[in-house]
Amino acid sequence: MVAGTPPDVSGPDAARSIELAIAPATPRSGPWFLLRANLQVLIDELRADGRRVIGPTVADGAIVLDEITTVAELPEGWGDRQEAGQYRLERRRDRKLFGFNNGPASWKRFTFPPVVPLNVGRREGRAVTFEPAAVDPPRLAFLGVRGCELAALGIQDRVFLGGPYTDEDYRARRAAAFVVAVNCTTAAPTCFCTSMGTGPEIRGGHDLVLTELDEGFLVRAGSEAGADLLARLPVKAADAGQIFRAAEAIGKVAATIGDPLPTAGLHDRLLVQFDSPRWAEIAERCLMCANCSMVCPTCFCSSVTQKSDLDGHVSTSERVWDFCFTASFARVAGGNFRNRPRDRYRQWLTHKFATWIDQFGTFGCVGCGRCIAWCPVGIDVREELMAIAPPLETRREPAEHPPAAASPTEYATARIEAVRTETADVSTLVLGGLDPAFVTGRSGQFAMVTVPAYPPLPISISRYLREGIELTIRAAGPATAMLIGLGVGAELGVRGPLGTGWPLERAVGRDIVIVTGGIGLAPLRPLVDAIRAQRERFGAVRLYYGARTPADMLYRHELESWAADGSMDVALTVDRADESWHGPVGVVTHLFDRTTWDGSRAVAFVCGPERMMQATVDSLEERGFSHDRIFVTLERHMECGIGLCGHCQMGSLFVCKDGPVFALCDLGQVFGREGI
Amino acid sequence: MTAPVATGRLSVGIVKFASCDGCQLSLLDLEDELLEVVGKFDIVEFPEASSVRSSGPYDVLLVEGSISTEDQRREIAELRGKAKTLVTIGACASYGGIQALRNWVDHDAVRAAVYAHPEYIESLATATPVREHVKVDAELHGCPINQDQLRELLASVALGRRPQIREEAVCLDCKRRGNVCVLVASGMPCLGPVTQGGCGALCPTYGRGCYGCFGPKELANARSLADSFLDGREAADVGRLFAGFTAYAEPFRSIVTEFGGTRMDPAGPATPTAASEGGNDR
Repeated sequence: MVAGTPPDVSGPDAARSIELAIAPATPRSGPWFLLRANLQVLIDELRADGRRVIGPTVADGAIVLDEITTVAELPEGWGDRQEAGQYRLERRRDRKLFGFNNGPASWKRFTFPPVVPLNVGRREGRAVTFEPAAVDPPRLAFLGVRGCELAALGIQDRVFLGGPYTDEDYRARRAAAFVVAVNCTTAAPTCFCTSMGTGPEIRGGHDLVLTELDEGFLVRAGSEAGADLLARLPVKAADAGQIFRAAEAIGKVAATIGDPLPTAGLHDRLLVQFDSPRWAEIAERCLMCANCSMVCPTCFCSSVTQKSDLDGHVSTSERVWDFCFTASFARVAGGNFRNRPRDRYRQWLTHKFATWIDQFGTFGCVGCGRCIAWCPVGIDVREELMAIAPPLETRREPAEHPPAAASPTEYATARIEAVRTETADVSTLVLGGLDPAFVTGRSGQFAMVTVPAYPPLPISISRYLREGIELTIRAAGPATAMLIGLGVGAELGVRGPLGTGWPLERAVGRDIVIVTGGIGLAPLRPLVDAIRAQRERFGAVRLYYGARTPADMLYRHELESWAADGSMDVALTVDRADESWHGPVGVVTHLFDRTTWDGSRAVAFVCGPERMMQATVDSLEERGFSHDRIFVTLERHMECGIGLCGHCQMGSLFVCKDGPVFALCDLGQVFGREGI
Repeated sequence: MTAPVATGRLSVGIVKFASCDGCQLSLLDLEDELLEVVGKFDIVEFPEASSVRSSGPYDVLLVEGSISTEDQRREIAELRGKAKTLVTIGACASYGGIQALRNWVDHDAVRAAVYAHPEYIESLATATPVREHVKVDAELHGCPINQDQLRELLASVALGRRPQIREEAVCLDCKRRGNVCVLVASGMPCLGPVTQGGCGALCPTYGRGCYGCFGPKELANARSLADSFLDGREAADVGRLFAGFTAYAEPFRSIVTEFGGTRMDPAGPATPTAASEGGNDR
């Protein structure tokens, strides 16, 4: 057969291989055999389709992924020696082209590149615009994708494309890539695909798959596109010996690796070990350098970086790889949710091997072993997991998805129509000119708010108006101060409404208790509005609100009018009184001590600092509240607001997407725990 | 920092103490963007570019160099009073610089050994970061500093917001660039995992281990990295890896003190000031 001629599917060799039934293949998909001397034809055909071929090649003492045009650039006769914290190239005794194990870089750098342009923001006078970057990825062919790597691409597909919000840049890059997979015929001591169920044999997700033998490659197609290309290759039907030798080589690899990380019940084994002393011990060795997650083919977290001109007129935003080990990853205005090294390592490991399952239905690990080899101090996740995690329990159902937002991924422009000063450092912006879908959001939802050259901030929506929304903002830092200072007529960018809302429907026919402190009243105000609009549907409504001083109290006049019109009991307290204050002084939970009501049928909505909410929950429990009737709203570092950037993870939850409003029973052991 | 009036131009001064001037040259290296900078700021003092001196006051004062003499100690205190925002630029001003290695040795003995008339040499026994003398509003790290970070700092002052400078290990830029890790793939000692990024992983990109120019990153676990280097190396050789431009910054300082590696007597820093800034929770 010559190059470019379709394989004759009725030929005697093909018929025999099907008869032998060693591989249950369709004639079009193979198995076929490509002589080693003809591998160049595969590269040429891929290039003829207008694709750049990315494949393994030797550079800088490792096997890296780069553009190749000829077979000569493949790592012929190269292997490697890998162990925890070490990687060395080694000569093989044979001339195998794929006789090496995973190198430092995974394919994610082509589907989820380290840096991707997001948008250009412009500000002229008081007007702002945001121009999304064009998505026009190169047509690529990946040559030599291993089983674990293919599984990793499948996992990132679930992360970026499987939920209600998707990453269109990823979608385009993924769709533009043709995948030529290679079954592993070698294994490193760092490999554990067998434990994670991802290899060494390719099980799907490829266009073509090769198995290397000395004289050439067994080839099968895994997609229509693959079969089309296969038809243009100078292949002949694989003979029984070739099929057997290929299966044997793969089988040997599986046997060599064994099962170094038994995963049965690992999810539950791990999640009962939040308090293991081992986390602090790992932190003694861990450098917090993020190399494990950078080489990980599934880690998907990112941050937005901006570069602006000195006037703040133009700023370009880029999405860059970021990781739960970096300083600012879980930082908010008041501090850092994961300050200690042990918190960060625990976040990473429990996510990979437990909470990822709750979020995406698979492990976040494929057993490629890179995090072991490329850890500068040689921390081996298999060893750590085996040390941390013994017996098991049961698994939770994944969280429901909130309704889709009006403008979840791109900034829409809103105009500031009024600014109201609430306290010395808190103001309310009244926004108009919004997408109509915005004003149909739910109480408790938030928006991502930005102007060019400033980092986007998650801000609770503090009121829905007929044709706009209100945002009540505390000047916690320069960016919030800037938003407050923009002034009437200025524009800003908003995305949303995002996240879950207060489930007011759960309170119909019941008493309601609202407990809040400081700025926490802002996300509750739309809830109060909703209660007052249909007051007859609820029993007694009681609102408890604490502020630092009388002057720090938000919406003072509204609080008075809510009490005055009989829609609810309002009890106020302050930490420090002044001469104007004649009410109670002390923490908000002390207000309960003055009352006698029963909470066994009531629903509670709570918003404030996490410590205050914990104290409130304790008091509510004493009043007969069960955890399915207490709803809290949480704060975390948020950048994307739609569960794609990873910053706001809290155990198995994304606070932005699964929250910020949660029933306490859904938070389980992560509520109020340090370092989550 | 508060946002200036939109039309007002901010005055920027650049002063230097014990340093090589390389950091202030980064301002000139802005090249294309230099015009934008001078359009926005009045550069009232810039020794590498102009002989004009200013007596202040400064909206922004960029300070290069460590405090190495009695005169410098007086001068920095005076300058602080004239500067609304004081920013140290570079490893010398932020961490003491390479000259801070003298903090580990007997200053008088060295002075006597080097100079025929040591009595003419008016130097302090230590070279110390500006932060040990006056309040510092922001620090740009590096040897030299990164011009993009300088530009971002100026933008943040102009716009009245926090500088958006990433706090992460050198490894992040190294891997984003697609470099092969020199530490793992060739066993070359590299301080990248414990060093604050900002250089774009310059040295590893050219096949060299990181020298730690930007100083320790947040939560730098220098001890663990140093211990891993001990495999096949003498303690003093490991200590010497940390005894570079940012040797005086904790936790590098403790490693140098404990492992040795300063050329003279590794008896410990001459002024063991408040120990750990940014240590680990161990």
